[in-house]
This record gives sequence, C-alpha cells and structure tokens, in this order.
Amino acid sequence: MQQTAKTLMVCLFIAALMGSVACSKKNPPPAAYDTNAGQEMEEADLGAGEFRSPAEIDPALAAIFQNILFGFDQYSLTPQARAILDGIGAWMKNNPAKLVLIEGHTDERGTYEYNLALGDRRANSAKTYLTQLGIDAARIYTISYGEERPVAMGSNEAAWAKNRRGEFKIK
Amino acid sequence: MHTPLPQRRVLRMHMRCAAVFITACLIVSHPGTSACAKVYIDINAPSATRVPIIIPPFQNTGSEPDTHKLSTGMASIISADLEFSGLFQIIDPKLLNEAHLRGVTRNEINWDSLSVVGAEAIVTGVFAISGNRINIEMRLFDAVQGRFIMGKKYSGTVPEYRRISHRFANEVFKELTGAPGMFETGIVFVMQTGGNKELYYCDYDGGNQRRLTTLNSLALSPCVSPDGSRVAFTSYRDGNPDLYVMNLAGGRIEKISSKKGINISPDFSPDGGKIALTLSPKDGNSEIFALDVQRRTLERITDHRATDVSPSWSPDGRQMAFVSSRSGNPQIFINTLADRSVRRVTFGRGNYNTSPAWSPRGDRIAYAGLIDGRFNIHTIAPDGSRYRQLTAGQGNNEDPSWSPDGRYITFSSNRTGRKEIYIMRADGTGQKKITVGSGDKTDPAWAPLPGN
Repeated sequence: MQQTAKTLMVCLFIAALMGSVACSKKNPPPAAYDTNAGQEMEEADLGAGEFRSPAEIDPALAAIFQNILFGFDQYSLTPQARAILDGIGAWMKNNPAKLVLIEGHTDERGTYEYNLALGDRRANSAKTYLTQLGIDAARIYTISYGEERPVAMGSNEAAWAKNRRGEFKIK
Repeated sequence: MHTPLPQRRVLRMHMRCAAVFITACLIVSHPGTSACAKVYIDINAPSATRVPIIIPPFQNTGSEPDTHKLSTGMASIISADLEFSGLFQIIDPKLLNEAHLRGVTRNEINWDSLSVVGAEAIVTGVFAISGNRINIEMRLFDAVQGRFIMGKKYSGTVPEYRRISHRFANEVFKELTGAPGMFETGIVFVMQTGGNKELYYCDYDGGNQRRLTTLNSLALSPCVSPDGSRVAFTSYRDGNPDLYVMNLAGGRIEKISSKKGINISPDFSPDGGKIALTLSPKDGNSEIFALDVQRRTLERITDHRATDVSPSWSPDGRQMAFVSSRSGNPQIFINTLADRSVRRVTFGRGNYNTSPAWSPRGDRIAYAGLIDGRFNIHTIAPDGSRYRQLTAGQGNNEDPSWSPDGRYITFSSNRTGRKEIYIMRADGTGQKKITVGSGDKTDPAWAPLPGN
C-alpha cells in the first residue's frame, strides 16, 4: 500500500515536471536572438591603399614588427607576443598617421573553416592588446587567412610553430 | 498494379507500367507483353545481395569508325556507376567468347553463355557516329528469364557520351532498385592554382572536370544549393573573406555578405531560402547566423564567447549541427532552432572534431575527427549513438559532403601525397580518387543535378 502511494507520488511529480516542460516550450525564444542582430554589424572595410610588409618599407621596421606566435588551437598572447606588441604600440604612438593590419594565421592542422575563425581570434587578440595600450582601434585592421598563407613549408612542429602567427602590415 | 511473377531466384519481379521519359525515346521490344517488367532489389537491406550484371562493349553499327573508343568507354562508365553503388557485381565481359558478346536484342543474345558466367542482368548497346553527332540505343535485360526490361534511344553530340551513359546507368539503377540514381550529379571543389585557389566542377566520377571561377584570389568552402543551381562560397577577391553566390550554369557572381571579420562556411537550408554562415561580429568571436537570401536579413543562431563555426542544417530545417570550442576544444554540437537549445554530440573520441555534414536522410552526421594525429571521416547519429569510423590508415581524410540521396560521401584525402577528392559509399567501402592534375584539391561539395 505504501509502495503504491510512493509510486503515485512519483508519477504525479513526473507529470508535473512534464507539464512545466511543455509550458516552457511555448515561450518565445530568448530576446538575445533577435532577428536584427546583423544590423549592428559593421561592413568589411580595409580602407584605400595597400598595406605593405614592414621589411619592404624599411628593414629597421622588421625588427619592431616581428611575427607573434601562438600555441596550437590557442589565441592567448604569450609574454614574447606581448613584448613585441609593446614595441609596436610605442611605434604607433610615435607615428600617429600610420595604420596597421594584423593578419591572423594558423598551422595546416585542422579544418580550414575552424582555422579561419581561429586566425580571426588571433588577429583580434593582438588588436585588443594594442587598444589597451591606448592605440585608437580605428587605426588597427584585422584579417584572417587561417591556414591559407603559411610562411614555413613542411608538416612538422618546427614549421607549424612558425605558421601559428600574427603578422603585421603597415600603410 | 503489382502482379508478382513466379520467383525463380533471389530477385523478386514486379509489374510496373510507369515508363520514364527524359530526352530519350523508349525502346519497346515486345509491345503488349513485358515491356514494363521491373526487377526489385531491396537497397535498404543490411547485406543486399549484389546483382551480377554484364555490360559487353557496345556495337558500332554506323559507317564511321569509333575513333573515341566509345564502344568500351560507354560500357565502362555504366559498369563503374553500377559497381560504385555497391548493389551490383560487374561480370568481366572477357569471360565470354567474343562471338557471344555481339547480341544486342533479345533474339540475338546468347542466353546460355550468360547463365554460364552467372549474369542475372545484361546491358547491351549499339551506336552510330555521324560527324560530331552520335545516336545510341541501350537495353537492359533480365538474363535469368531472358526478358527485356527497358530500353532507350539517345541522340547527342559525341562529347555528351559520358552524360548519356550516366543517364542510362540512372535508368538501370531505378529499374532494378526503385530508387533514383545519382550518376548524373557532380562535385564542386577547391583547387590550388599557383598562389590562388579557384572553384572547379566535375562529374561525380571525376569526368568533365572544369574551372568555375577566375577570381585570382582565395576561393573557399563551396556549398551547392539543394536545387543544384547555385554555389555559395567565400572569396578574398576584395581583400576580406566575403561570401558570394554564383549561378552554376551562367557563372554570374554576386557578393551577399561582407561583414567585418570572416564571412565563411556557408550551408544552404533544405528549402534553399537561407544560408547558414559564420560571422565574427565582435573581437573575432565567430558565431553562426542564418542569412535570408532574398531579403538579406540576418538571424543570429549561436551566442557564445567560444568559437562557433561550420553549420550544417538537418534535412527538416529544424536543427543545425555546428562546431564549437565551448567545451575547451572543437567538438560537434546541435542547435535546435525553435528554442536555440544546444547539445553536444561528440564525446570521448578525440579532442578535435570538425566539418559536420548532416546526411540528407537525417539519421547520421559525418565529420572529420583527429585521432592519433590523423584526420579521418566518422559518422554519428544526431543523438550521439551509432558512432562509426569510415576511413583509416591512409593519410588525412577531411571535408565530408553527402550525395543528395545520402548513399555516398565525397571527401578530400592526402593519402597519395597530394590532396585529392575521393568518393565512397556511406559505409566507407568503395573509396576511390576521382580528381587528376597538379594542385591540391580540397573541400568537395556534392552538387545535385540542376532541376532535380
């Protein structure tokens, strides 16, 4: 008898639970997913004129605008990357008319779609750091090439390490 | 109106009177008798018996010589199509005395010799060349009963012989299985050309390879609309990775998304009206959106600080598989569009699973997964059950894309040292390379036949 009562209680509880689930399904989707989300988004604009590699402009610049390197599937900045970005930030403060393009790259491993997203993250990590140094975000452009533009050929860790990088262009 | 005939072997026979006309004429061998007979193979049986079929070289009955070797060319295309389906066993015509191979019609075929080599069906063909034109007649017979099943007359230009052969293979497949064949479909893929990447197209078996784009830039991630008419893809033509749509027939290219950041990994909705894609609206944080192709409005699908990329619609359009790093590394997730609830699909098998492709049948998701340092193609049911590895031990295998009927998968592999496009059956058997020529070839997208 006691067992039956328990079972009944459990059944009622489950029924109540199912009722509440059924009700919650009727609610509209969360407002965060509004259909106008895209209207706030900026159109792509790399500006007029061509970004050039620092070494092409002046060999001395190549020492400042070194590639910053990342770990596998990582977009956080290493201490070495921060040190390079500190130098780039100082140069940008001294050259306020100059614009910088940060290219995000990955190694060949993984899907190129995921790598395009990862390269975008890497470029934006560097951009965020530069803005935190006080550089106007409008002077910093980003683009991701994913795994499409390797600097080192070969399928080994030495090549992969060089290819997981942020690369800088100036105009 | 099904009138079962006496069962004489593993194949069941039905009567069926729905003749299919395309551009061809139907050949009626015995008017009023068995022109509509149909053999039936249960293609969904787990271990369906392969039907032994023989396709002798076609007979040139015209006055002009067969300089393009169409005689063996057409027979071998049809043989390869049927063999690849996994439902037919191709019997080598060389097993027969050449004199026994010349029969084309019911009265000419040497039925006894076919029974010796175990053929249960035979395709015969005759053709005549006249300049750049070709006339072809092809027939399918039940070799056990010596019965005419179906025949077609085709007329076209000589270079169309591949297409005509695929079309007749579709007819044979449909007659013997009841399901439409997909031997006239194609595959869009990316090929490295110098420092650039351009889109290319080929027949599903690699024939008729041709270039689609000359944007002198990086073209990536092609995806073909369900009606086979359009290709969506990413190009750096204007500097940024923007999204474009191109007509497959006319080649007209239109830019449809150029948001700041990435505009990548398109996937057409099952009704063709929307394209799911990946954008990075803020700080490089990629999210999945659905773009209404006509109205150009965007609907946000995911909202998470982790990387979300590579959407693939379920065939009913109610869910979307995608890649997310929200659990720490890339895994396959499913978003239920009605309430945006998200559940993880891949667990415990590798920490890098990407490129989901939802089967047109709905019951499986193919993806590329990294295990022991190699990428391979796997499938899993949407509820995470029925995991299966389809490729193994041969290089890296990535970018799976389903055929429109869900029976086959195309993918890229570097197993020969260079990245090439491959096709296989959905169970991983029958893997074969279809592309030729230098340049890495990647990211194949199976293209339905336009108009189907």
